[in-house]
Amino acid sequence: MVDYARVQKELVECNRDKDISGVSIELDNGDDLSHLSGRITGPIASPYEGGIFQIDIRLPGGYPFEPPKMQFITKVWHPNISSQNGAICLDILKDQWSPALTLKTALLSLQALLSSPEPDDPQDAVVAQQYLRDYPTFVGTARYWTDTFAKRASVGTEEKVQKLVEMGFPEVLVRKTLDIVGGDENLALEKLCTG
Amino acid sequence: MSNRVLCKFFVHGACLKGDNCEFSHDWKDQTNNICTFYQRGVCSYGSRCRYEHVKASRPQTTISSSSTISVRPKASNPVEVTSPRAFVAGEANSISSLPAELSALSRPFFPPAWKQDSIDHNLQDDDIVGEVTNVDPADRPICSFAAAGECPRGERCPHIHGDLCPTCGKHCLHPYRPDERDEHIITCERKKKQLDALKYSQEIECSVCLDRVLSKPTAAERKFGLLSECDHPFCISCIRNWRSNSPTSGMDINSALRACPICRKLSYFVIPSVIWYANQEEKQEIVNNYKAKLSSIDCRYFDFGNGSCPFGTSCFYKHAYRDGRLEEVALRHLGAEDGNTVIAKDIRFVALQFFNIDAVL
Repeated sequence: MVDYARVQKELVECNRDKDISGVSIELDNGDDLSHLSGRITGPIASPYEGGIFQIDIRLPGGYPFEPPKMQFITKVWHPNISSQNGAICLDILKDQWSPALTLKTALLSLQALLSSPEPDDPQDAVVAQQYLRDYPTFVGTARYWTDTFAKRASVGTEEKVQKLVEMGFPEVLVRKTLDIVGGDENLALEKLCTG
Repeated sequence: MSNRVLCKFFVHGACLKGDNCEFSHDWKDQTNNICTFYQRGVCSYGSRCRYEHVKASRPQTTISSSSTISVRPKASNPVEVTSPRAFVAGEANSISSLPAELSALSRPFFPPAWKQDSIDHNLQDDDIVGEVTNVDPADRPICSFAAAGECPRGERCPHIHGDLCPTCGKHCLHPYRPDERDEHIITCERKKKQLDALKYSQEIECSVCLDRVLSKPTAAERKFGLLSECDHPFCISCIRNWRSNSPTSGMDINSALRACPICRKLSYFVIPSVIWYANQEEKQEIVNNYKAKLSSIDCRYFDFGNGSCPFGTSCFYKHAYRDGRLEEVALRHLGAEDGNTVIAKDIRFVALQFFNIDAVL
C-alpha cells in the first residue's frame, strides 16, 4: 500500500520551488497518485542544456520502502540511460534506495546523472563506447538528441497552443493534449478532433 | 503502625506538607473514605457519592485491629461496628449507654488541620511561659491554598505561605524547611525538563513518512525509533518497516536495511521512545532504560533453556532457566601476541542476518 499522504506532501514540496530546482512532478493519470510524471531541465554546461526531459514515475505498493520506478519518456543520448526505452541505471533507484529519499531528490539525482555520466557502469553500451572512445561525437549526438527530442515539446509550445486555441479548442484541453502526445502539433490536433 | 488516617493528597503524590503532615504518609494505613456530609446529616450526592455512607468510624475499626471484628463476628453490619476508641471515648464521657453510632457522631471524626494546630499552639503557650508566642515556623505546614494561588485567609492564615518556586510558579517552597525546599526544586526541575523535552519532541518529523511523530493518529504510532549509532529521527513504525523490509526487494540487508535511511550508518538495534532526546546523555538514559526493561523479560527464544536464541549472549532479553539460574556466559579465550590469554567478553553478535531484534518484541 503506497503511503499516499507522503506522496501528496512530496508533490506540494517539490512543486513549491520548481523554478529554482528545475524539477517538477505532475499527476499523470487523473487522481492516480501511484502514476506520476516528472520533468527535469537539462543541466547547464552539459549537452542536455536547454532541454526538458519527461520521466515516467510509477510508485510500487511498498513505496516509500521500495524505490519508485522511473524511466525517461523523452529520448536521451546518455551512457546510463537506454537510448531505446529510457531505462535508467542509477543505484539509488535500485539497491541504494532509502526511504528518506523522495521523488524530488530522486529527480535531482537524475539531473546530476545527466551532468556526470558513469560510462564504466553503463545502461546503453553503444553510448558508453562512444563516450569513452570518441567524446566529441558523443557530445554532438547528445546535443542533437536534446535539440530534436527534448526541445520540440517545449520550444514553441506557446505558439502551438495559440494556434490550436485559435482553432476553437479550450486552452486547458489543448495544453493537456499537447502534453499527452509529447508536443506534436498534428497528433494533438488529431486527438482533439476525435476525442 | 499508627492509627492515623492515610493522607489523600499523599495518595495522589501531591502532599506539600511532607513529614509534617498531620495525616499518615504510610501506605499501610487506611484512607478516610467516609463521607463527612453524610456523617453530618445529608449528602447531596446520595447514592452517587464516591465516599462511603456509613455512620460509624469504620476506618478506625479496620485500622486499630482486625481482631475487633473477628472477636465479635455478629457485627456484620458496618453501622453497628464501633471502634474500641469510640467506646473508650463514650465511657469517659459517661455516655456509654448511648448507641455507638451517636457517640461517633458527637465526636468529630478528625479535627481539621488548622484546629489541631491552634490546639498545639495553645498548649505550647501554656507550657513555655515567656517563650516566643509563635510555633517554630519549621513545624507549621505549608498552606495549600497559597500554593495553588491565593489563600482566602490571607495574613491570618495559621499555615505558612510558601515562597515562589521559580520553575513551577507556585508558592510551594517552605521557607523554613531547606530539605523539603531542595527536594521540591529538584523534582520540579526534572518535571520541567520532561515537559520541555516533550514540547521539543512535538516538532520532530519522521524522515520517512514526513509526519510529526507525536501527531500520528494512534497512540501506538506516536513513538520515536531511535537508532543506536546516529541521531536521525524516525517514527517507530517507519523505521521498523524499513528494517524488516523483505530482502527480495533487491536491497542488501546488512548494508542498506540496517543502515540509517539518511546517513547510512549501520545500527544494530532500534530503541522505542516516547520523547526525543536533546543530548547524548539523555539518549544514553533512554537506551539504558530500554535495555534494563528488556533484561527483566524472559527471552521466548531461549525459553528457559529449552530453545535456542539466535542472539546468543548478546540478546537483550533475560536468559534464565526455570530455577532462576542465569545462562552462563561462555567466554572466548583469545591468544594475545605476548602469549597470554585474553578473554573476549563483550562480543557483539553482528551477524544477525534475518533477525530483527525489534521483531522479538
